[in-house]
Amino acid sequence: MKKLLLMSFLLVVGILFQSNAQERKITGKITSSADGSALPSVTVQVVGTTKGTQTDALGNYSIIVPSSKSVLSFRFVGFITQEIPVGSQTILNVTLKEDSKALEEVLVVGYGTQTKTNLTGNVAQISSKSIEGLPVISTEQAIQGRAAGVFIESGNGKVGQGVKIRIRGSSSVSAGNNPLYVVDGIPITSNDQSTTGGPTNPIADINFNDIESIDVLKDAAASAIYGSRASNGVVLITTKRGKAGKTNVNINYFSGSSEATGHRDFLNTAQYVELFTEARVNNGYSASGGYTRFDRYALGERARWQDPTSANYTSTNWEKQVLRTGKINQFDLSITGGNDKTKFYASGSYSKQDGIIVKNSFERISSRLNVDHKASDKVSLGINFSMARTFNTRLSNDNAFSTPMQIIALAPLSPVIDPRTGEYTDSYNGAVVTQYYNPLLSIKYTDNNTEVYRSIGNVYGQWNILPSLSFRSEYGYDMLFQNEEQYYGKETSRNNTTAVNGEAYKTNTLMFNYSTNNFFTFNKNLNDLHDIQAVAGMSYQQSKRSYLDATARSFPSDSYKMLISGATKADANSTENFYSFLSYFGRVNYKLNNKYLFGFTGRVDASSRFGTNNRYGFFPSASAGWLLSEEEFIKNIPQISYLKVRASYGLTGNAEINNYAALGLYSASFGYVGTPGQRPVQLANPDLKWEKTAQTDIGLEVGFLNNRISAEVDYYTKKTTDLLLNVNVPGTSGYSTLLKNVGELENKGWEFVLRTDNSFGDLKWKASINAATNANKILNLQGQVITGGFLNRAVEGQPLGVFVGPEYAGVDPANGDALYYKNTKNTDGSIDRGTTNDVNQAEYVVIGNPNPKWIGGFTNEFSYKGIDFSFTFQGVYGNSVYNGAGKFMSANGDFYDNQTIDQMSRWQKPGDITNVPQARYLGGNGTAESSRYLQDASYTRLKTITLGYTFPSSVVNKLKLSKLRVYATANNLLTFTKYTGWDPEVNTDYLGGVAAGNDFYSAPQPKTITVGLNLGF
Amino acid sequence: MKLKHKLIYTIALGLFLSSCDNKLDVKPVTNIDASSAVQTSADVEAILIGAYDSMGDADVLGGNPQRDAELIGDNGDIEWQGTFVPPAQIFNKNMLRDNGQAATTWLDTYRTINVANIVLANLGVVTAAKKSKVEGEAKAIRAWMLFNLVRVYAKAYVDGDPKTNLGVPIVTTPTLEITTASFTSRNTVEQVYQQIITDLTSAESLLPSTNGFYIGKNTVAAILARVYLSQGNYELARQAANRVISSGAYDLAKSFDLAFNNRSNSSEDIFAVQQTEQDNDNGYNTFFASPDYGGRGDIKITDQHLGSYEPGDDRGLFFYESGDIFTAKWADQFANIPVIRLAEMYLIRAEANFRLGGSPVGATSLADINRVRARSNASLYTTLTLDAILKERRFELAFEGHLIHDIKRNKQTIVKTNGSDVRVYPYNSPKLIFPIPMRETDANTQLIQNEGY
Repeated sequence: MKKLLLMSFLLVVGILFQSNAQERKITGKITSSADGSALPSVTVQVVGTTKGTQTDALGNYSIIVPSSKSVLSFRFVGFITQEIPVGSQTILNVTLKEDSKALEEVLVVGYGTQTKTNLTGNVAQISSKSIEGLPVISTEQAIQGRAAGVFIESGNGKVGQGVKIRIRGSSSVSAGNNPLYVVDGIPITSNDQSTTGGPTNPIADINFNDIESIDVLKDAAASAIYGSRASNGVVLITTKRGKAGKTNVNINYFSGSSEATGHRDFLNTAQYVELFTEARVNNGYSASGGYTRFDRYALGERARWQDPTSANYTSTNWEKQVLRTGKINQFDLSITGGNDKTKFYASGSYSKQDGIIVKNSFERISSRLNVDHKASDKVSLGINFSMARTFNTRLSNDNAFSTPMQIIALAPLSPVIDPRTGEYTDSYNGAVVTQYYNPLLSIKYTDNNTEVYRSIGNVYGQWNILPSLSFRSEYGYDMLFQNEEQYYGKETSRNNTTAVNGEAYKTNTLMFNYSTNNFFTFNKNLNDLHDIQAVAGMSYQQSKRSYLDATARSFPSDSYKMLISGATKADANSTENFYSFLSYFGRVNYKLNNKYLFGFTGRVDASSRFGTNNRYGFFPSASAGWLLSEEEFIKNIPQISYLKVRASYGLTGNAEINNYAALGLYSASFGYVGTPGQRPVQLANPDLKWEKTAQTDIGLEVGFLNNRISAEVDYYTKKTTDLLLNVNVPGTSGYSTLLKNVGELENKGWEFVLRTDNSFGDLKWKASINAATNANKILNLQGQVITGGFLNRAVEGQPLGVFVGPEYAGVDPANGDALYYKNTKNTDGSIDRGTTNDVNQAEYVVIGNPNPKWIGGFTNEFSYKGIDFSFTFQGVYGNSVYNGAGKFMSANGDFYDNQTIDQMSRWQKPGDITNVPQARYLGGNGTAESSRYLQDASYTRLKTITLGYTFPSSVVNKLKLSKLRVYATANNLLTFTKYTGWDPEVNTDYLGGVAAGNDFYSAPQPKTITVGLNLGF
Repeated sequence: MKLKHKLIYTIALGLFLSSCDNKLDVKPVTNIDASSAVQTSADVEAILIGAYDSMGDADVLGGNPQRDAELIGDNGDIEWQGTFVPPAQIFNKNMLRDNGQAATTWLDTYRTINVANIVLANLGVVTAAKKSKVEGEAKAIRAWMLFNLVRVYAKAYVDGDPKTNLGVPIVTTPTLEITTASFTSRNTVEQVYQQIITDLTSAESLLPSTNGFYIGKNTVAAILARVYLSQGNYELARQAANRVISSGAYDLAKSFDLAFNNRSNSSEDIFAVQQTEQDNDNGYNTFFASPDYGGRGDIKITDQHLGSYEPGDDRGLFFYESGDIFTAKWADQFANIPVIRLAEMYLIRAEANFRLGGSPVGATSLADINRVRARSNASLYTTLTLDAILKERRFELAFEGHLIHDIKRNKQTIVKTNGSDVRVYPYNSPKLIFPIPMRETDANTQLIQNEGY
């Protein structure tokens, strides 16, 4: 019995022992197949149980498994999940492969997300990875060339200035053409808030290294959920969120320098003297009169310009005085972490760029905290909060004599410093020396600083009422406080006549913008046959802008710059305005049998901006898609891994007009010597309503060879009706324009995206090409012609902003006269191609288009073991740029402005064949605005190129780090163009309205090279 | 569970339906709605002030149109050395139809007319005691604006037949909305002058003799004197000038320099655009003054002009050097801008009396001319010629915006010599008339463009 008991005991122990032996500890290390680096935070789970763990910072894990039959799954975002039976192993090292199925990417759409497969609209996504660490200031600049159909243009190289962005062309003539920006669900202020000089860019307040993804909603199916503000497309910015698991710290630092992308050559002293002497004599002026003038420029010393052997001989290159080597430094720190209940992302960043133009700089300090918390299975809530301060040392706009680039108008005869005064050459003893004000005086004696405090944040709560139904409420705000301070020393009074004794000017702008979104989301899958996703809700937005400015004059010295020190308080103003939007929206996506996709959206919008008669607008869209690759007849073609066709149609609106545009307004800012006065400033239009754009999009998405190659083609037409148009009215009415719903325009275009994703052993190669056409055409303006810029127009039958002017016909070989084609209609209807030397006799005809025919980008990314190499080309094709300063700088000696070097090839004697007319001082010979100053400005640029090296984990681990990467990046390294100005990517910063594609002493873009270091631990 | 759901739905629906609709009626606060702007007598009086402000703009009476009259009429007395293209075209007598100044002068002057028309259309709410004064001022402003337009954009009254020559559109009603009536056509030069004279005559009878620095009876008579003079109607011109002089309201400033750069009106200012540090738009200063006097130094005075004065004439010394020579008339950017001075009335009366012969009105031509000359220590004449009288106008009124108008009404020819290059512009040359602005002919196809554009 005892034996039996003992046997039994042994048996039980044996069984126990055996089961103990089956429950085993497995350890191992998880690495990435891409570069062999350790993967932290990989979820390791025993399949069929809740047992699980995560890898540590070095990619190591250990887990107890119940039996040798257990299967472990290894999951990590962005990698293909692997399931491995443990068998008899105790050490299980796993290499995870990156998930290259781009088609499964999740896109952010309004009030939710969708997978690319299920999408029936057109959304372009740019992920944070592709733009990290680029040495540019604002998000739009970072994504230039990376999304099909998104045209981005930095008007010039001044840092911190506005950037033009057009999604699928311009849909409006007088209302805004910039897209709606939405950060984490909250519409933000994106339009220029500058009240001094050129535009500033509120998007530059956002640190784009905090951005997880940028989703551009292009067609109506995608954008109509934003209704009345979606005609110009919608840019959804989603910031980074925390991840559960180990706390990760990431540090990125880069530093570099920049140069101008281009230079222009101007006459040297000998050439200047030759050309202007000739120009005077040619037009009946004495040569000696010119010499007197030259003497003046040369500080009264003839030898300075006449005698190259003289020690004082001067030939100044003024451009060199204002262009410099810029500097850039940026430091980013981010920390992510959390647990199942609470996750956070926190970041801080400091960035400083000294531009390539003297005195121009931009500095940004920003921080962000995003927290998500799960209160229960049903309820989650969170907060996103960001704060930034930017400080921009600004320059005058391109039209000011004080803007640095206008320095090139000065004669090379003057030295930079006048030895008699030790000061920049400008005036001496009250008499002017240089022809124009010397902008270097403004650099030295003017302050022009803009400081912005910006906070964008929101809180949300989400209630998962049922597994299929949830309710989300968001409340967000965007606060922008802008402080602009200018001080003009008395030394600048030649430029600013009211600053004879110093002048200070200060403005404060406070823009407070709040909004709330409240919506239900419903998701239901029935028998794998019907899949329904629906959203319904409302939103309300209100915005208030308060503005204050004050001016004081007469300061004791330039040491005092605050208004309090000005003996004369010259001016003070304040204004305030508001707008509000109330909206109801809904969306239904229905997927049938995993093949047939249908989408419907609708939004009702009401805005305070519109007339009481037409305050509400309804903006619906419908779309459908067919996943052909789910059909048997395609499944049989092994090469085709994915195929979808889709189509959408919908209406969107545009409400980017002034806040009180529908009202007849009186202003009382018209007092007369202390007596208050008022008068009308705007005619009423109670019928004013939304500008509506009907957009059709047809798209095809295809993937080959397990999606190693994928492509997307879209064709769209956008027709805008009821244009919000500033109609020119007869000036005899006492008004010059009236905002009316008049006219129609269309944009049509193709978009192509081609991607490939390959690996050849350790070598990985990813490439993507995007290209897009857009043809803009104004269909109807009721015969109106709207002019802007130098020769821009909005006119029926032509693209918006088309250049219309006299057509330059070159130079009469007989007498050197500038000639223009008459282009008048003969009685038989034909066009008279005869020429005339009287520009007033030349008809205004279409001479060019500021809008490119093609835009595109080409990105390649290579990686080999730890080395990564990538580059992006970006370009525009088929557009022209008009040099508005041509009549000054390329005017064959018409006036004393220094001339571009090409003017030396002017006509001199009968028989000369040249395009530059005879030099005639004050002769106006060919200086009228005409196609003479228009040039093709197509360009291709090596936008960015990056070479990086990530140290292997063996090295990194020794340093107790999780990541170590060094890299070098160049931005705008090479530019290929026929444009002879400084840079073909140009749009002067002082012209608005229909003006486009104008160069006017605009600063060139920076060419930047940086080196950086990326650390993780 | 069900109850809980109901609760959720109720809250959510509440959020949906909570009416934000009233939040859409956002009242403007910086500017105000037109309907609430014109209700009381004070409102209309404030609009009249708005008309003065509009009229005081640099592009209306504040100096730029006067500058253009000097530039386009110049025969070598000045040299334009500025960079702005529109005035350079005007100086070169080679304007293009898209000349920006041509557009601005047109727009701002018609804007002033519209504001005056609003006042005239709302006289019903003006207090009885102020009504005739308000009406008189508004009519005078409207007429003055029309006079300035017709002289610039149309053939001179004495050039051909004013009954068939196209003038500018006459607008006498305020614009409340753009209708077909807003697309005006050009009236004839004769019709425009008739409208001007009708308005001015009415204004003169309505206004008190003095009205501070605003337009009063004497200001209107002075404008009328100019109008009649440009028509060659010397009888009415001398009568109007005489009414101003004999009113006794004005005296010539003690010396020539005291007539300019005054921050309050001088004793000889019949009308001056008021300037203050806070409210300042002085086109004269911008272009005629050197940088150290707050200007751009764009217009330098040549030896030809400086040499035309006789030695000892104070007016010939009223210049200063700052690199180039500039007129001292516009040296203070914050000083009032004299638009009509008493000296001009003496000159008009003298010229009209001389031309008409017979018994003079008020005083003899010789007495009037010598009165003006004596003030500037110029030698006194014992006999007079018409040429001397016209030259006297130039000595006294140079760079005050009279040049081209005097050339046209006297049918003089401009001869401009640059070395061997001699250009001749007869008084009726189309080059001396502004184009109808291109933005205007584009916006209103009813308008017929001037010859040569």
